Amino acid sequence: MGEAIIRIRNVKKIYQMGSESIPAVNGISLNIRQGEVCCLLGKSGSGKSTLLNLMAGLEKPTEGQIIFHKKHIERMDEDQLADFRQKYVGFVFQSYNLLPTLTAMENVTLPLIFKGVPVKERNERAMEILQAVGLEERAFHKPHEMSGGQQQRVSIARAFINQPPVVFADEPTGNLDTKTTYEMMDLITGLANKNNQTLVIVTHDLELSEYADRIVMLQDGKIEKIEKKLTEKGEIQYE
Amino acid sequence: MNTRDLIDMAVRNLLKRKVRTLLTVLGVVIGTTSIVVMVSIGIGMNVGFAKQLESWGSLQVIEVYPSGGMSYNEETGRMKQEKKKDALDQKAVETFRQMEYVEAVSPVKNLYGLYLIAGKYMADAGIMGIEPATMEALGYKVEEGRALSAEDSKAIVVGGAVEFYDPKLSWEARWSAEPPQIDVLHEKLSITFDWNYGTRNADKSIKPIKVEAVGKLSSEGSDSWRVIMPMKELEKIEKSQKEWEKKKYGSSSASSTERNKSKEFEQVLVKVDSMDNVQKVQQQIKDMGFRASSLSDELEAMKETTKMLRLVLGAIGAISMVVAAISITNTMVMAIYERTREIGIMKVIGASLKDIKRLFLTEAAFIGFAGGVIGIILSFLVSLGVNLVASRQGSMMQSSIPIWLYLGAVAFSTGIGILAGYLPAVRAMRLSALSAIKTE
Repeated sequence: MGEAIIRIRNVKKIYQMGSESIPAVNGISLNIRQGEVCCLLGKSGSGKSTLLNLMAGLEKPTEGQIIFHKKHIERMDEDQLADFRQKYVGFVFQSYNLLPTLTAMENVTLPLIFKGVPVKERNERAMEILQAVGLEERAFHKPHEMSGGQQQRVSIARAFINQPPVVFADEPTGNLDTKTTYEMMDLITGLANKNNQTLVIVTHDLELSEYADRIVMLQDGKIEKIEKKLTEKGEIQYE
Repeated sequence: MNTRDLIDMAVRNLLKRKVRTLLTVLGVVIGTTSIVVMVSIGIGMNVGFAKQLESWGSLQVIEVYPSGGMSYNEETGRMKQEKKKDALDQKAVETFRQMEYVEAVSPVKNLYGLYLIAGKYMADAGIMGIEPATMEALGYKVEEGRALSAEDSKAIVVGGAVEFYDPKLSWEARWSAEPPQIDVLHEKLSITFDWNYGTRNADKSIKPIKVEAVGKLSSEGSDSWRVIMPMKELEKIEKSQKEWEKKKYGSSSASSTERNKSKEFEQVLVKVDSMDNVQKVQQQIKDMGFRASSLSDELEAMKETTKMLRLVLGAIGAISMVVAAISITNTMVMAIYERTREIGIMKVIGASLKDIKRLFLTEAAFIGFAGGVIGIILSFLVSLGVNLVASRQGSMMQSSIPIWLYLGAVAFSTGIGILAGYLPAVRAMRLSALSAIKTE
C-alpha cells in the first residue's frame, strides 16, 4: 500500500441550525493511501457523506486541515477547487447525476470537454471507457433510455475517463438491486485497481465493505474503528 | 473548455427550450427593428435633403465670387462698398487648384441673350462657359452623349429642358404650340446673338457660329435649361457680339466689360473630393477674401434642425431594446433556476467557474445575436415598406439603412444580450456545487 494521498487532520464540520450546533464531522483524523480502496461505513447521520464532501472540496471544514498531496484543500478558493476537481478527482453518485439531454457518450466526454481535449481524442477515449464498462452499444442513448445499472455504468465511465488519482463514490449502489450492486462494485474496484487509482466509497452496506482494503467505521461524526482486510486469510485485522 | 464546444453547448441548451428562446429572441427582434427603423428614418431625412439639394447641383461644388460686395457698416449705419482684396483671376484659380481636397477648378462666364438654332427652329439660351476639361469632374449629369473634354472647341452640351420654337410664329402662337421634338445630338446647330433671327428683321451681317452638341444634360434640376460650352469659344462669341454692338450703337454696354478688362472672372467653381471636406475648403477660400457658397451650407443647416427629431426617434427605438434586454435577463434567470442541478453536476465533474459564466453569457449573447440578425432582416423589409408607402403618398419621408447601421445593430443587440446575461451568469457561477447537485 502506497503513501498517504489525502491527509485529514482533526477535521470538524459543524452545521448551524438556528441556535443549535450540529457537528456532522466531529474531529476526524485519517490518511487515505495512494491506490487503496477505502470504505467509509456508517449509518445515516454518521457523517460519512460529509467527510467525503470535505475531501472533495465540495464543503469547507469548520476546523482542521485536509491535505491532498501537499495542497491544503480547505484553503482553496472556488477557482482552485474547480481546477483541483478537474485534474485530480472523479465522482460517482447514488443518483448517477447524468445530464438528461446528453447521450451516454456525451455525458462521458463532459469532463474532457471542460478540460479542453480535442473532439477526436475525447471521443476515442470515451468509446474505450464505455467498452470497459460494457456499454459501447448504448453509447448514443440518452439516460432515460437506460436501466439504473446502465446509467451508473455511464457515471462510472465519466468518473474514470480522465484517469483521476482519486475517485469518490457516494452510495454508488444505493439505487440498484443486489445483483447489479455486485457487478457495479466489481467494475468500479476493477477499474481503480487497474490504474492504481485511489477509491473512496461511502456506504451504509456492510457487504460492500468486502471490496475495500480498509473500512473506516463512522458514528456520530467520529471514527469508531478502522478495519483492515487481509485477503489471504480472510481475517479482519484492527488497526 | 474551448470556444467551439462552448458555442455548441450554448446552442443546444437554447434549442432545448425552443419556445422560450424564440419568444425572447422575438423581443430582441422587435427592439432591434424599432431602433434600426427609427434611426433609418432619421438618416433618410438627411439623405432626402441631400438628394433634393443634389437636384439643384452638386454638393461637392463650391461657387466662388469675387470679393468686394456691399456690406453694412455698423459704425456709420450705412451700406458701403467693401474694399477689394485679391482679384478672382487666373492666379486665384491656380491657388484653388493647389489646395488640398480640390479635384477640379473652372472659371465660369455666363452670357445671356444668345440663341441656339436648329434648322428653322431656335431656342433662347443662356450659355455658360467653363473650362471644358473640368466638366465631368464638376458633376454635370450628362444623360446622353458625353461631357465636354479638353479637345473640344466648337462643342456644346445642351440642357434637357431647353425648348425650341418657330421664330416665325407670334408670341401667343409660340406659347400654345407643341414644342418641336429636336434631337440636338444629331441636328446641325449654330449659335447667334441676333434676336430677330429667322424673321424678316434678321440682321444678315450676323453670322451664326456653327457648333456641335456632344451631350445632353438631364431635363430636371437647375442645369436643365443651360447650354454649356468651352470658355474660350464663348469669349469669342462675346467679343464679336461687342464689336457688332459697337458698330450698331457706337459704344458697348457698360458693366460686363469692366470685369473683362481686369481679367477677373465673374464666378469660379471649385470641386472638392468629398462632401465632408467642402466646409473646410470653403472656409479657406473665404479666408482668402472671396465670397463662397455651396449647397452643403444648406445641408448642414437642415441637418442641424432635424438633429433633435432624430434623437427622439432613436430614443423611442431604444426603449423597446431596454424591454428586450430585461426579457433576456428574465429568461436567463429562469434557466438558472431550472438548470441548478445541471450546473452543480458540471461544476463537480470539472467545469471551471469561467466555463459556467461563459456558457451562460454565450447563451445570452446568442439570443441577442439571433434577435439582431432577424431584426435587421425585418428592418430591411419595414424600410422597403415605409419607402413604398411614402413614395406613393408623395411624402418626403423615407428610410435609409446604411451598412454600418446593419452591422452596428447586430453588434449592439449581441452586446445587449451579453450585458443582460451578465448578472445571471455570475449568479450561475456562484452556485454552490454541493447544494446544486442535491436540488431535485
